[in-house]
Amino acid sequence: MTSPTALRSSPVPPRGRIGQLRDRASGRHSPLRRLDWPLQIAVIALSILGGLLVWSATRHREAESGGDPQLFLKRHLLNLAIGLVLAGAATVVDYRILRAYAPFVYLGSLLGLAAVLLVGSTINGAHSWIVLPAGFQLQPSEFAKVALIVGVAMILGEKHDDRDTGIRLNPGHWDVLLVLGLAAVPMMLIMMQPDFGTVMVFVFVILGMLAVSGAPSRWVIGLILSGVLFGGAILQFHLLKPYQEARLTEFVQSNQNTSSTGYNVDQAMTAIANGGVAGRGLFHGTQTQGQFVPEQQTDFVFTVAGEELGFLGAGGVLLLLGLVLWRALATAVDSADSFGTMIATGVVCWFAFQMFVNIGMTLGIMPVTGLPLPFLSYGGSSMFANLLAVGLLQNVHLRARSDPYAL
Amino acid sequence: MTSTLNRSSRRGRSRLRLVSDLGRRVADDQWIEGDEAGFTDGYADPDGRCYPRPDDDRDDGAGWDDGAGWDDGVGRDDGASRHASGPGGHPVAGGRPGARRGRGDARPGGPSARGGGNRARTPGGRPVRARGAGARRPPPRTGPARPPLRLGSPRRRLRAAVVILCLLLIVLAGRLTQLQAFQASTYARRAEQERLHIAALPAVRGVITDRGGAVLAQDVDARSVYADPRNITDARAVANLLAPILQVPADALVAKFRSSGRFVYLARGLDPAVGATVTKLQLAGIGVLEERRRLYPSGSLASNVVGFTTVGDNDVLVGGGGIEGAYDRVLRGIDGARRVEMDPAGRPIPSAASRESDPVPGSSVRLTLDRDIQWAAQGAIADAVRATQADGGSVVVMVPGSGDILAMADAPDYDPNKIASADPSTLKNRATQDVYEPGSVNKVITMAAAIDRGLISPETPVTVPSSMRIAGQTFMDAEPHGVEHLTAAGVLARSSNLGTIQIASRIGSANLETALRAFGLGSKTGLRFPGESAGILKPSSAWDPQQAATISYGQGMSATAIQMASVYATIANGGVRVAPRLVESTTSPDGAVHTTPRDPGTRVVAASTATTISQMLEAVATDSGTAPLAAIDGYRVAGKTGTAQRLGPSGHYSGYVASFVGFAPADQPRVVVEVVLDNPRDGHFGGTVAAPVFQKVMTFALATLAVPPPGTTAPRFVLDRDARR
Repeated sequence: MTSPTALRSSPVPPRGRIGQLRDRASGRHSPLRRLDWPLQIAVIALSILGGLLVWSATRHREAESGGDPQLFLKRHLLNLAIGLVLAGAATVVDYRILRAYAPFVYLGSLLGLAAVLLVGSTINGAHSWIVLPAGFQLQPSEFAKVALIVGVAMILGEKHDDRDTGIRLNPGHWDVLLVLGLAAVPMMLIMMQPDFGTVMVFVFVILGMLAVSGAPSRWVIGLILSGVLFGGAILQFHLLKPYQEARLTEFVQSNQNTSSTGYNVDQAMTAIANGGVAGRGLFHGTQTQGQFVPEQQTDFVFTVAGEELGFLGAGGVLLLLGLVLWRALATAVDSADSFGTMIATGVVCWFAFQMFVNIGMTLGIMPVTGLPLPFLSYGGSSMFANLLAVGLLQNVHLRARSDPYAL
Repeated sequence: MTSTLNRSSRRGRSRLRLVSDLGRRVADDQWIEGDEAGFTDGYADPDGRCYPRPDDDRDDGAGWDDGAGWDDGVGRDDGASRHASGPGGHPVAGGRPGARRGRGDARPGGPSARGGGNRARTPGGRPVRARGAGARRPPPRTGPARPPLRLGSPRRRLRAAVVILCLLLIVLAGRLTQLQAFQASTYARRAEQERLHIAALPAVRGVITDRGGAVLAQDVDARSVYADPRNITDARAVANLLAPILQVPADALVAKFRSSGRFVYLARGLDPAVGATVTKLQLAGIGVLEERRRLYPSGSLASNVVGFTTVGDNDVLVGGGGIEGAYDRVLRGIDGARRVEMDPAGRPIPSAASRESDPVPGSSVRLTLDRDIQWAAQGAIADAVRATQADGGSVVVMVPGSGDILAMADAPDYDPNKIASADPSTLKNRATQDVYEPGSVNKVITMAAAIDRGLISPETPVTVPSSMRIAGQTFMDAEPHGVEHLTAAGVLARSSNLGTIQIASRIGSANLETALRAFGLGSKTGLRFPGESAGILKPSSAWDPQQAATISYGQGMSATAIQMASVYATIANGGVRVAPRLVESTTSPDGAVHTTPRDPGTRVVAASTATTISQMLEAVATDSGTAPLAAIDGYRVAGKTGTAQRLGPSGHYSGYVASFVGFAPADQPRVVVEVVLDNPRDGHFGGTVAAPVFQKVMTFALATLAVPPPGTTAPRFVLDRDARR
């Protein structure tokens, strides 16, 4: 009955393609609007703040910056831009499609780690970098963190969402063993670099994901116990490199700043305490501008916040990092499926461990491990990997089952 | 509806809300994909029973909060099945037939469940609070004791993760608070001490000039190079690089790099250009500091008067000897201080504030010395010491009326610019610090005392035997002679010891001592030169008869060159003694000049006596006197030779002290010159070795001071009555 005339006389004029696109982009249910903006804003704010802190720490390090006071700032922001593009890519492709490619991601990371051992370069005592032309360096172990999370999530999440039966299952013993085997290969490769800190990140990511996956509790408890025993054995039988052991024992027998490690922590704590409540002001921290804290733009970047921005600034950094962790955890909870939950859980464990160990190290309550502070520390690979992880979080968030408009 | 609910919950979500959501999501167990939507409609186990999920499980009962924690259901869930009803009211089931390990209910309150009891009770037995609209109470289980499938553990463990993360954040925040709020001041103090370097800003040390303003000592800009051994990685390479620049052996540098401290000087007092070269190298652990160096532009000229400086505490230059030492406080000024904050490599921290207090420069000191006369005197005495192979010598040039010292020269001397390599025995002022037995030059005092008392006149006859015996000791003149019939003037001109003894015996020891002391012997001259000696003159009551005899001709007592110069200056000044004076004035940084007051003078002998003595002394520098070599063409010269036995270091006489002291022009004296040669070996008579030096220096001084020849002639006294006869 409806005639074209009636259609034309419709009160709502038909919209063109562009209008539809605009509606889609700006509409209530557009993916852009449904991004986890608190997470995104916190991450970008942390990264930009990190750029300022890196800038402040390196303004006078002519030896490292080659005379350009803004070199580290520029590179940090460039890393951020590249990382955001990577994150966008990691957000757009449905993570459930990604699941199909998880084995390739995992194998790719193994290739990267193997390549480091073959053609990598040694920087600061760790054989962890692949030096690329034009002054760029890649640290495959950072990307391996993402790959490991995706790979482990595939195994632990798959079991949960058995589609053939529709029955939800917690991972069994064989799943746990498979996960451990899967993690053991990259961990051994990284241990050969050696990069003890990254190995510990892997350990805690695996532990956290196993615990949340619902795997048999005896595995979780057993792994923790064996980890403690293994740690004790390492110290007892001196299986670590002397400097690694020194870092740990020195931390235990604190306040002995005989070696360079103790000196680093001493200087880090001094810088942070020097900030007081209000801080010395950006670019006005005497310990920072005086380059008292070694490796300040990377592992000890938190000390810049501590000294120059004070308790208010450093506390703000903690709150922002806490916001990121909370949003990641909420993503884990909201996830439509166990695969998404596992990915988000892995990212939470990763970020939380690095954050706690890194900041705890600068505060003298954790041993020196050489782990960067997510988003704030200078370093391309770390930034890329962190933002890739954030992209995955957004991916899971966008497709959370709680949202019927999932892509 | 679901979307609206989630939307609102996302907006206003709190942590508690999140936690409570967790349980609900578990209940809301549905698939997303539409093709599997069928599963959302519930799933029954093969027995056809549904197990609705109890409400309490999503509120306050399950997981973390019930105290059972992590492990209450882990591992035991397998094979169990549970049915829950979602918010939408769908019965949702998840489960699998045929539990693999039906180990029982996952809940601690299991027994009640197994026993088919009311599931609406929490483990603690507390009645479950109904939650939400409808307050769906779980129906009692009707089936056999089949354990329900537990799916809550991943969610509950995520809940536990929230708590753990909060704890971690609290730990970090707590530690941050402890450091920044409560220990901040402790660490801040430590940090400040670590980076704070208080550098003294040395005040510019005052300039020392001669009477005409010619600079004898001044501060110049210099650089020092230091190392922080801790920051030096390749000691050998750095040492090899620096050694040629600093002119220090590389091995010495390496040794310094191995020292334990954090600061060690590598070289000091460097030219600023050298410092700039080192700075340009930008070596880690090597730094350049500004400092000031004391420069003596004329080298050894007047070094025995000006003195030298050494680097004392806090790198401050400290005067060591001479005027530098005596006027150290005047010259030094007040050091400023600079608080510099430095990084571990010793570079100033860019943003750190540095506070300074400006140094107050020292006053300058103007001496009475005349650089030219000093130069002539120094050259002459150095030549004479060399020519006679003497141990040393000194020359004092003095203005009789004012007491101003125009020159005070020592030989050998030293270069204060190279104080470290100087012979320590030269670092003194011989003219004021070395005492010697003056010998015959002392005879003027005996003569003056006798004349002043009216005991003798220049032509009073004195019969001189070939020898005299006093208290068992035989006295002879320097040259053996028979009995001579001289006048008093002759005794002085020929320098007869025996004649002088006879005149002295007329005065008496007490009066002689009074005269000696009135002329300034036995006490410091008033020059206030550091280390000045008073000489040795015992009281006359302690003189034995021999000493009473020898003191009359200048043995058995000792004096300094400056004392003897002062004696002759007193004669030249008409009998009024004026204390010698070396510092003309000091000028403070604000320009105020403080002139050293001149001694008003003390009359020692009558003017006529002084004139008479002066005239008698003119005979010395003649062919009939002992020092014809002291004569200066066109000028009347009054003077006296001294050839004294020298008291050696062991206390025995060994060698001689040859001296000549005199003034010119004799009738209107303008300059007094005293020459002392210690232990000359090639010739030892004052008339032959000291008089030529006197003649040279006096000639130069008269020319320098533009003293016109007097045009008068010297009176001639009868010296030898035998010769006249």
